[in-house]
Amino acid sequence: MDLILEQMPIVVNALNVGFIQTLKLFFVTLIGALPLGLIISFGSMSRFKPLSYVTKFFVWIIRGTPLMIQLLIVYYFPGLVLHNPIWGGGETGRFLAASTAFVINYACYFSEIYRGGIQGVPVGQEEAGLVLGMTKSQIFFKVTLLQMIKRIVPPISNEIITLVKDTSLARIIALQEIIWAGQAFMKGSQGISGAIWPLFFTAVYYLIWNGILTVLLGRLEKKLDYFR
Amino acid sequence: MAILEVEHIQKSFDRTEVLKDISFSLEEGQVVSIIGSSGSGKTTLLRCLNFLEKPDKGIIRVKGETLFDADDPSTCQESGIRKKRLHFGLVFQNFNLFPQYTALENVMLAKELLAKEQPDYKSRKKEIHEEIESLAVDLLTQMGLSDRMSNYPHQLSGGQCQRVAIARALALQPDILCFDEPTSALDPELTGEVLKVIKELADKKTTMIIVTHEMAFARDVANQVIFMDDGHILEQGDPIEVMEHPKEERTRQFLSRFNQE
Repeated sequence: MDLILEQMPIVVNALNVGFIQTLKLFFVTLIGALPLGLIISFGSMSRFKPLSYVTKFFVWIIRGTPLMIQLLIVYYFPGLVLHNPIWGGGETGRFLAASTAFVINYACYFSEIYRGGIQGVPVGQEEAGLVLGMTKSQIFFKVTLLQMIKRIVPPISNEIITLVKDTSLARIIALQEIIWAGQAFMKGSQGISGAIWPLFFTAVYYLIWNGILTVLLGRLEKKLDYFR
Repeated sequence: MAILEVEHIQKSFDRTEVLKDISFSLEEGQVVSIIGSSGSGKTTLLRCLNFLEKPDKGIIRVKGETLFDADDPSTCQESGIRKKRLHFGLVFQNFNLFPQYTALENVMLAKELLAKEQPDYKSRKKEIHEEIESLAVDLLTQMGLSDRMSNYPHQLSGGQCQRVAIARALALQPDILCFDEPTSALDPELTGEVLKVIKELADKKTTMIIVTHEMAFARDVANQVIFMDDGHILEQGDPIEVMEHPKEERTRQFLSRFNQE
């Protein structure tokens, strides 16, 4: 126990650095995937059949294969197969590759949630708007958008919580996120080696961050509770 | 001159002919009730008048102006449709109120958005807003909802929702107000309060087209009754004439089923 207390400041410092990287990946994924998902959902709902088929096929591939494999393919495929290492070898390259894989993966999941949200708003809402002389864009922004947001907040919250934990998969391409930082103390780092507790301790970081997100997303859900 | 003239309207979905040559006209301040069994095309007819469906053939004329003529492409353009819709109001069977707005906001929303298109909107913004609000308050009061204006639709009964929907349609001062089975989603107790406000509108000479299964109401409120069957107008004329001395066997059959109930 004394030993752990002695190691604590060093470990926490290292884990903080790793967690910053985790948070960066988390936010970049959200900023990229939330809008991209909307575009993909428009694609899969398109009345132009070829576009809709291609989009649905793509979503099937992404949702049907492990994110870990997608990370490996995105990171290694350009260099090892195409002999064009677009990502470079450093931490920046690994971060860009990881972000790309995460944004694509999560955009596909979000697109299905959006599709459900948009199709879930009754047609009568649009027809009521049309009959009242509103334009299509007025109907979207003043009538359907908020109803759609209300519908998608719970499933999107679920995905966001999952995303926090999924960022640990980026460890597979040696992105120096918090798992990587915890694992370093097993092999030996900053005078500490053979310690497994720092790796276990990373769970606290995920737990706290997800606690904060749960409260914030719960508040958003409550805010939209004033109508049904 | 008739305020509304409908000539030879036809409408098919895929290969199903829903409306087969519908013609009728309506005088200003008059009420027409449309009766007939489900699937006879009543709702589709209202949807055509409100440009939610585009007829395959026929002409729709309001106050002598041709709003739609299937043979004249210039009247069929998407761009003009929005303004043409404003000649008509439509009250839906299931209300279709906007759930995120209060009763008052539901009545005001469309009118406010239209006001933004006026050239003097910027300079008279506050004044226009107040005008619209007082109009909406008047309408809701007329509907007996003066104490319900700041309630959201989910806090209102079905009958109250439908009365808000009627106020919302009236706010745009349409030439002709259409009702698509306005009481079919309501229990008998709430039906009465909605029929009462429609009757009051009729007494004030509001031009209306009412699709309904309430036979006694259809007869009492209307100046003219249309009986539709299988996409045709089988019989039309004076309410007492059509409903008590129908000429067609089919009409008799339909009405006798209602009288048994």
